[in-house]
Amino acid sequence: MTLLATVLAAAPAVPYDKAGRFVAAGFIVLFATLLVYVLIMATKLQRLERELADLDAELQRRERAGRAAAAGGEDGP
Amino acid sequence: MHAKGLRALTLATLAALTVTLALVVFYAPNDADQGFIQKLFYLHVPIAIVTLVAYVVAGVLAYKHLRTDERRWDVRSYVVIHIALIFNILGLVTGAIWAKASWGHWWVWDEPTLVSFLIVFLLYATYQPLRFAIEDPERQARYASVFAIMAGAFVPLNFIAVRMASSLVHPRTFATAEGGLPGEMMLVFLVSLAAMTLLFWLLVKYEIAHKHATWQLRALRRRLLGDDAVAPLGRSAAPAIVPEAVGRRADAPAPAPSISPSDAPGAAR
Repeated sequence: MTLLATVLAAAPAVPYDKAGRFVAAGFIVLFATLLVYVLIMATKLQRLERELADLDAELQRRERAGRAAAAGGEDGP
Repeated sequence: MHAKGLRALTLATLAALTVTLALVVFYAPNDADQGFIQKLFYLHVPIAIVTLVAYVVAGVLAYKHLRTDERRWDVRSYVVIHIALIFNILGLVTGAIWAKASWGHWWVWDEPTLVSFLIVFLLYATYQPLRFAIEDPERQARYASVFAIMAGAFVPLNFIAVRMASSLVHPRTFATAEGGLPGEMMLVFLVSLAAMTLLFWLLVKYEIAHKHATWQLRALRRRLLGDDAVAPLGRSAAPAIVPEAVGRRADAPAPAPSISPSDAPGAAR
């Protein structure tokens, strides 16, 4: 809170009238666009992780099958 | 591989954006004519500059693609235009906000700077439909590169033509005859320009890293599970890149098919 009070005290007279709202709108547009981009990337990343998990599960299944086959071969005559 | 340096670049971009915002609010003096609303200058102008430079860069990358026939240049050109289009929209929106605050109108049709920026946007808005219209990936990449080179050459010509126009509505901020920007404003502007450039570069790197990760995963899936496990590619505006094909010349002996028959767009599904 002290830090915030210090920052606000150092701020020049920021007009909260029409001009201030327009400037704020400009920056909000930028950061909202960035947020949307990050959300899209997060969705794509989740999809990649799901596919990686599928591949990992398949690989583990094959490794288990390979080990079982090898163990079966050793037990044989 | 393509994600190398992303964390450092992300942190640098975040720091640059924070410093820019702080400088705009706390340091940059209010403009004598426009007052506080002029602070939008530090947002709108760097975005517009980065957009236009990016279009030219995309043209250079497309030229490299045509020269070398390496698909990675097409991918880079595509991604740069993709992100530049987002910046272009940001430039139009922030410009409209500034216009409304300064001139009382969201848009002024007889102002060459605004209209030319819109024309550039509309020109590049046809890039993705053009790619989408061409099914064959090789032809798609080649035609898109020709477009990117021609449009990239148009951008500076358009800019010069607008600068030579004699409209008095849109300010000519860097006109030396009028004294240009004072030192404090110039400093904040340069920091903001650096921040927007970093942001642009970051988004391009994220996009390229994602595309390569997707294709590497696809190639891995095919190797592990066979062709049947990989869904065929649909028609797409995005370049079709495959890890083993990246960087390989078209006339070089192919170690493996760059696009499997089942991947080919338009293949029976």
